[in-house]
Amino acid sequence: MRIPFRTLLASVVAAAALVSAAHADQLDDIRKKGEIVFGVLGTDEPNSFVDPKSRELVGYEVDIGKAIAQKIGVKPVFKQLAVAARIPELQQGRVDVLAASLTHNKEREAQIDFSLTTFVTGQKVLVKTSSGITDVPQLAGKKVLTVKGGTQEPNIRKAVPNVDVVTFETTQQAFLALQQGKGVGYVNDEASIVNDYAKLGPAKKDYAILPTSISVEPLALGIRKNEPALKKVIDDTLRELESSGNADKLFIKWYGPSTKLQFDKRTFKIDSDKI
Amino acid sequence: MPHFDLALLLHGQYHDWLAAGLRVSLELAGLVFVLALPLGVVVALLRLAPSRALRALGAVYVEGIRNVPLLAHLLFWYFGAPELLPDALKERLYAGNFEFVAGTVALTLYTAAYMAEDIRSGIRAVPPVQFEAGRALGFGFVATMRRIVLPQALRVTVPPLISQTLNLWKDTSIATVIGVAEMMYQAARVESASFRSAEAFAFATAAYLAVSLAITGLATWVHRRWPVRTL
Amino acid sequence: MIDIVRTYWLYFLVGQYPDGPLGGLALTVLLAALALALALPVGLLLGLARVSPFRAIRWPVTALVHVVRGIPLLMVIFWAYFFLPSVTGHKTGQFGTMLMALVAFDGVYLAEIVRAGIRGVPRGQFETARALGLGYGHAMRLVVLPQALRSMLPSLVNQFVSTIKETSLGYIIGLTEVSFIAAQINTQVFTRATQVYLLLGLTYFVLCFGLSRVAVLIERRLGRRAPARIVRSPGSPTSIAVPNA
Repeated sequence: MRIPFRTLLASVVAAAALVSAAHADQLDDIRKKGEIVFGVLGTDEPNSFVDPKSRELVGYEVDIGKAIAQKIGVKPVFKQLAVAARIPELQQGRVDVLAASLTHNKEREAQIDFSLTTFVTGQKVLVKTSSGITDVPQLAGKKVLTVKGGTQEPNIRKAVPNVDVVTFETTQQAFLALQQGKGVGYVNDEASIVNDYAKLGPAKKDYAILPTSISVEPLALGIRKNEPALKKVIDDTLRELESSGNADKLFIKWYGPSTKLQFDKRTFKIDSDKI
Repeated sequence: MPHFDLALLLHGQYHDWLAAGLRVSLELAGLVFVLALPLGVVVALLRLAPSRALRALGAVYVEGIRNVPLLAHLLFWYFGAPELLPDALKERLYAGNFEFVAGTVALTLYTAAYMAEDIRSGIRAVPPVQFEAGRALGFGFVATMRRIVLPQALRVTVPPLISQTLNLWKDTSIATVIGVAEMMYQAARVESASFRSAEAFAFATAAYLAVSLAITGLATWVHRRWPVRTL
Repeated sequence: MIDIVRTYWLYFLVGQYPDGPLGGLALTVLLAALALALALPVGLLLGLARVSPFRAIRWPVTALVHVVRGIPLLMVIFWAYFFLPSVTGHKTGQFGTMLMALVAFDGVYLAEIVRAGIRGVPRGQFETARALGLGYGHAMRLVVLPQALRSMLPSLVNQFVSTIKETSLGYIIGLTEVSFIAAQINTQVFTRATQVYLLLGLTYFVLCFGLSRVAVLIERRLGRRAPARIVRSPGSPTSIAVPNA
């Protein structure tokens, strides 16, 4: 049977339209809903945490999320997640974007996509000076404490092959365990460790941050795979923040000399998503 | 979604983690059972004691423990209570596998409270004349219990005690919140490392089910072999 | 301890509400109540399926019941958390996940309570209803079930207490129920861990002990009017393994 060319063309176009309609664009969904859901930790000062007085979620990543929502023209909604739950929640569609101190690494690239790197930090170990430990290799055979489901456990095991690791549901439980002396070291992102160290107040003298970083952690926003429109909008917002100087202002606001972290200046720029 | 990889569960690094978790779960359950049972007997006897003060003590123990979830007990015994100890004792305690110790303490106290109630029901099922006859013959309270009442109570008590053991086995999973490296802890760890949630949880589910079915099978066998005799 | 209460009482009771999702004790009670309310019809259906004359219904449900009773609640929660969205197509949050897991888990145990309750109503009631011209459904709904529910009330209140304790497992998936909030408060006042967790225990105790006293009261009031109930001997194999959360 000879099929007229026009019919063939029409059916091909219809099929293509059906296929693309079946895979709805997430950015369109977000615009239709009128809101974008960011998955945040809410327990990692100053990236995202609950201000005890106002009981509101604030932080470096919260502000970035608000900027992205403003660019798209929708309302930002922030949902608190456990460290171990971040990638599953994104993959299952419970959140639209992850702004949760998420490290961009090769293993995760198979599961999700990443935005431009928004922050670069290392991972360090906090110890009590009474343990007599002055650098990372001395942790061999000792017990360290950290959170479940992040890059901390694999990194410390790589750095110190026969270390004993105990993990808890949240970073604060792990830090509390260190303070109580249940382990000799607490592993976390450097920025978080500096923040916790500062919060110790006068007790600071009993603690020390080991000098060697056990890894370099480029943090970025997490996006589901195959969502090019959403990734473009996010990356564009980040580039605008960088070029307008607002990215630097955000850094100073949350990490600068007037905060607990007291970083003098940024050592990175928001311009690349390569690691 | 990637296909289910059975090989992952049978050998290799992830299998080792999961198998280690199963071992710890079994050790925890076994140890707690051995410790909770005698404690349960003591508390049950407290609740049946002739002295009002002792009875109140038993009641406070049972009600205080049973009305608080196991998760809160675990957090209390790991993060809360030990902090009250003097520093030297604390350091010695923490130097060992304190996670397992705290888990054992919390689970033992918790399970004993439930076992005590089952044992108490079992004792009450024995006709009171048995106890009275024992006292009339000159035995004290404890001796009467030990020689006359408890042996008879045993047959009635065994089935509910076995279902408490089943609960104990399942409750070991909650110890993951204080860092005990039992099966749920390892399953979650495998999931984080490999993103293979189905395989990790299938292993854990199969392991829990296998032991649960074994315990239930034991209950049926016991009931057939030693049926409850009624006077 | 009083100053901890004074500083954090609102956060402990309602979490971040209204500036954020509901949390704390309010969330615990709400979740438990909703879970029990939804688990009742599930328990009823499962109980009916278990006595169904059709093998195609009876066997899979019996297998499901044995599986759910043989694994920890935490396992059910993890399965629900990772696989519910792909099965239902709905993007359930932590509250939804906990709710579904609790309904599935408690529904299985409620099936037994419901069956016992229905059996406790004298057969004469059902027969009279049919003789008066009511259909099977109406006889059940208007005559048997109301009486069955009344006699089940103490067991249901006890199950509510169990469910309240079960909600504490939401801690593990990051649900901001009262145990999670207590742990967060603890990290702010980290030198007072004993006091914070004592307060948490006390809260649960007051809530659960109070409710179980209510159950005893209900049972006493029922004992005055209800006919003789079927009492099972303690050693029988039909004693169900009631979970202690």
